[in-house]
Amino acid sequence: MAKTKKLVYLSLLVAGGVALHVIESMIPVPFPVPGAKLGLANIISLLAIVLYGTREGLEVNILRCLIGSFLGGSMSSLIYSLSGAISSTLVMGFAVKYFEKVFSLVGVSILGSITHNFAQVTVASVVLSTFGIYSYLPFLMVVGLLTGGFTGLAANFAKEKLSGSVGLMETVDRRR
Amino acid sequence: MLTKGDKILIATVILVAFVIFTGFQIYGFTGGKTYAVIEINGKEYQKISLGKDGPKMQLKVAGFIGDVVLEIDRDKVRVVASDCPDKDCVRQGWVSKPGQTLVCLPNRVVVKIQNTESTNEVDGVSF
Repeated sequence: MAKTKKLVYLSLLVAGGVALHVIESMIPVPFPVPGAKLGLANIISLLAIVLYGTREGLEVNILRCLIGSFLGGSMSSLIYSLSGAISSTLVMGFAVKYFEKVFSLVGVSILGSITHNFAQVTVASVVLSTFGIYSYLPFLMVVGLLTGGFTGLAANFAKEKLSGSVGLMETVDRRR
Repeated sequence: MLTKGDKILIATVILVAFVIFTGFQIYGFTGGKTYAVIEINGKEYQKISLGKDGPKMQLKVAGFIGDVVLEIDRDKVRVVASDCPDKDCVRQGWVSKPGQTLVCLPNRVVVKIQNTESTNEVDGVSF
């Protein structure tokens, strides 16, 4: 029973992530930096990590990327978003597990977005086979600071509401 | 809301971004050979290779309304004197990085700094 419950909740998280992923692609980017985006779906990955754990966060995030790219995206955008998603989820999971006292969710989210940026720039430099792309990293990092802080804040509010009402917490032992 | 660790993280990220930014500003990222291409009235007049072993000389170029005196110092170029009314070209100072240009509009003289690597590449991708 608990297993089914978890399955349902994780699926709900994936669905929410896909919805945010698609909605986000419709929002014009308010920054004059190409490649920068809000990263709304990061709210869901962060929630999955905090409520369940790194492994579940990874599952939710990879599924979200796959489905999101099928709905609106291309093969190369899938490579970019998968590399960013996997690395940022691993880093965020690590931060939540071992540095819970040091970083709030905002800090964890910023860490994730910076990792996401770094991974994407690395993939871009491999795809375009030029090291010069890294000169673009500082701009992405500053933008990532803002968007990461915002998504972290959003995830924080969502966590407070969710852990009180839906009963996500009682169904699973936190963090394995 | 923000913990101490968060603030340290934010400061670190800004610092690292700044360091990477200035690092690229100072050292650049292009390999290959750098050239100064002198154009008069839109046509290529002379191509001079720059670098540590580049020439150290002054060059007089006949422009549209008068002479333009260029000075090349190893890896950088500037306009020393020009027969034009506004002297904007002289005030531009030294240029050395690929993509930079010296322009004397009245004389129709343009000096472009180019790089062998950056000129042969496509400058855009779509994904």
